[in-house]
This record gives sequence, C-alpha cells and structure tokens, in this order.
Amino acid sequence: MKALDPVTLATPFFILSIIGEIVLARLGKAKANYETKDTAVSLGMGLLSGSAGLLTAGAAAAASIWVYKYHLFNIPMTAVWAWVAVFLLEDLTYYWFHRLSHERRFWWAAHVNHHSSQHYNLSTALRQTWTGGIAGTWALWLPLAFLGFPPAMIAIQKGISLVYQYWIHTEAIRRLPRWFEAVFNTPSHHRVHHARNPRYLDRNYAGILIIWDRMFRTFQPELDEEPCRYGLVKNLGTFNIVRVAFHEWIGIAQDVVRQPRHALGYIFGPPGWSPDGSRETSATLKAEWEARQAAELPKTRVDIAA
Amino acid sequence: MNQAFLIQTAASAAAVAVLVGLAAWAKIAKPGSPLDDARARALLAEDFPGRTIDELWVAVDGKGALAKSGATALLLCELGDGYVCRQIPWAQALAASFKDGRITVNLADVGAPKAVIALTAWPPKPPPAPTDLAA
Repeated sequence: MKALDPVTLATPFFILSIIGEIVLARLGKAKANYETKDTAVSLGMGLLSGSAGLLTAGAAAAASIWVYKYHLFNIPMTAVWAWVAVFLLEDLTYYWFHRLSHERRFWWAAHVNHHSSQHYNLSTALRQTWTGGIAGTWALWLPLAFLGFPPAMIAIQKGISLVYQYWIHTEAIRRLPRWFEAVFNTPSHHRVHHARNPRYLDRNYAGILIIWDRMFRTFQPELDEEPCRYGLVKNLGTFNIVRVAFHEWIGIAQDVVRQPRHALGYIFGPPGWSPDGSRETSATLKAEWEARQAAELPKTRVDIAA
Repeated sequence: MNQAFLIQTAASAAAVAVLVGLAAWAKIAKPGSPLDDARARALLAEDFPGRTIDELWVAVDGKGALAKSGATALLLCELGDGYVCRQIPWAQALAASFKDGRITVNLADVGAPKAVIALTAWPPKPPPAPTDLAA
C-alpha cells in the first residue's frame, strides 16, 4: 500500500502559491521581496533536501517500526480521538525538537540553513535541511511509536505539520483574527521566529499551535515598533549552496580541532558558545540588548520630563 | 532508484527553474540604493550596537564600507539585496591586499570567506602629527 505523504500532495500548492506571491508583489498587491540568487538557494535546498533525507529515512523508519513492536497501547488509526491525540503530541514533540534545534549547536548546525535567508517569503519555507536525518532528531518522535501510535500515523501527522508551516512564511499576511493568533502559529508569530533582532531571538518555536510557546514562556508577539530583520545573527556572505548547507558543521569541526578539550562545549553548547565567552550567544545578545534598553529608559524619562 | 522518484525530482527541478526565472523577471528585490555615510552607519549599528565608529570609509561603488572602531575593523558588504557584517582586528584590515581599487580581506569564515570593498586608496593615510598641525 502506498503511504499518504502530505508534503508530496502539497507540492503543486507550494509551486502555485509562490507564483501567486511573486505576481501579487510584482503588481504591488502584496508585500513580498524576492532576490534571484536567494530564491535559487532556498528552492535548491528544498529540492535536494528530499534526496538527502532519503539517506537516513530508512534508518528512521526502521527505528520507528522496531520501537512500535514494544508499544504500550493499541491506538487505532481509524479513531478520531487518536488523530486528535497524535496532533497534540506530535505538535508538542515538534516544539521541543525545534527548541533543541536552536539552543544546542549540534542540532542548530542542521537547522541553521533554514534561517540563513535575509528574506521571509514562501520560498524561505522550502529552504530545508540536508543534514537533519544525520543529526538524528527523528529519534524525538520515537516515544510516540512506543506509546502505540502507528509509525504511518506519526509520519502523516509530521507531514501535515510541515505543510501547515509552509504558508506562514510570508509577509503578505499581516495579522489574522485574534482568536486564531491566540491558538495557532501564524505568519506574524513565525516572522518573529525568523528575526535576528535581539528581542526576537529564540522565540516562537511552535509548529502548528502557538500555545506551547505561551506555556513554556518562549512566546514573543510581533511588535509594530520593532520590524523584523531576517536572517542570522552573523549573516552568511555567500550564495554558495554547499556552504549554506554545511557551514555550521565545518565551524564545529574547526573549533573542535583547534581546542579538542572543549569539544563538548563546542558541540553541545548553545550556538555561539566559546570557553572564554568571547563569542556571542542568543542569551548574551539578549542580555546586552536589555542592558542598553535599561540604560536608555532613564534618559527617555528625563527627555520627557524636560 | 525508481522511475517515479526520478520523474518527480526532474519535474521539481524544472519547477524550481521556472520559479527562479519568475523571481528574476519580477524585479521585486528589496529596494536599495548605493550606501552613503548615514546608511552605512545605520547598518553597522544594527550588527554592532553601541560601538563607536572612529572613522568610516564607504566603498566608491556604494556596495560596502569599512569602519575603524578602536582596535577593531567593522566590515560591511553587500550580498544580493542585503548586507553582511563582520569584525576583524584593525591590524588585519590594515594588512589587507589592495589591488585594482579594491581591498580583499580573507575572513577565515566558512560562512563568509572574504570581504571585497572598493576604495580609492588603502591603507588610509595616518592623521597628521600634532607638530604638523602646529606648523
């Protein structure tokens, strides 16, 4: 039986919606910026990520099937409650996968390329990792199989989540109704996630439901007074797709070779970690920004008083 | 590898080519004009907030800038319709090769291998000594 793959089914929608976004922006009807080389890198990453994923997909599927052999409960794929449960648990798993992918350098090395564009448009959504399978984050979904969700059900739900997250990579949609913004991940919430402004760093990890960020205190709303600046804290200076895909891995290797006794810190510390603290992590950047804000606040108060 | 996968990949590659072509045709990159002093300072301030700029050299083609901030050189280079910043020791910037009106700085960074900035001359002339001013 051929498995249902939401991503493959959605591919024509991906193509048509990018055409739509470009044409509407060209006509001045929607906000979107596309730069040719940036678009080529994003779409090239997306095109080849599928092939790269195949290298480890077999191992991931085999692990899932093996774990499922020892499952705790019999969860039927035909029950509505089972789909509700897998939706919630898969989305919670995604939140922690995504948070790990930002907060620990080993997994950031696989995820960084998705954030490497200075643009935020539908093509950015397809700037997908080539090394996610090797980084082994698929293991985070194994507990769902152990609980008793059939591996095919988990795979379908992961696909649905990926397709959902596609359409939120746009500046064309400003804000959605308040109830929707309160519960779901939206273009506005995800713009914050892709921003490099210190205030916005390491925020809004959600997949489909933004409630996890609210629950685990990583939520940050988009503020009109602080427009998002997209990309990395240290933006890439190249459109070379191989460098985009592997630069952080090479950076880790260089650091470990240079200072092997700090290997664990360089590999599993937060991105930007260094033994002497000479580099900047998200935490230090945020702390510096907060200190500047605090220093500027009294000045502003004096100005107002004057 | 099965035939369906190859057909799917080939069709996707063709779609990518069409979309990239469409993006090029649309000319909807971020609006930008050659850098001037104020814009270069603003962009450097985004990446290096709170840093004092002692001196600034904006590229003659408006596609980059180099600033001295204490013992550090701040580099700003255009990439597509965006910009990339890096900092290096000032001595390294002074030693950068200058050829055909461009300085080329090897950044030793996989994500940004080099910076190329068009300047009229490099290294900059040292400021006149105080005795010269008195004369």
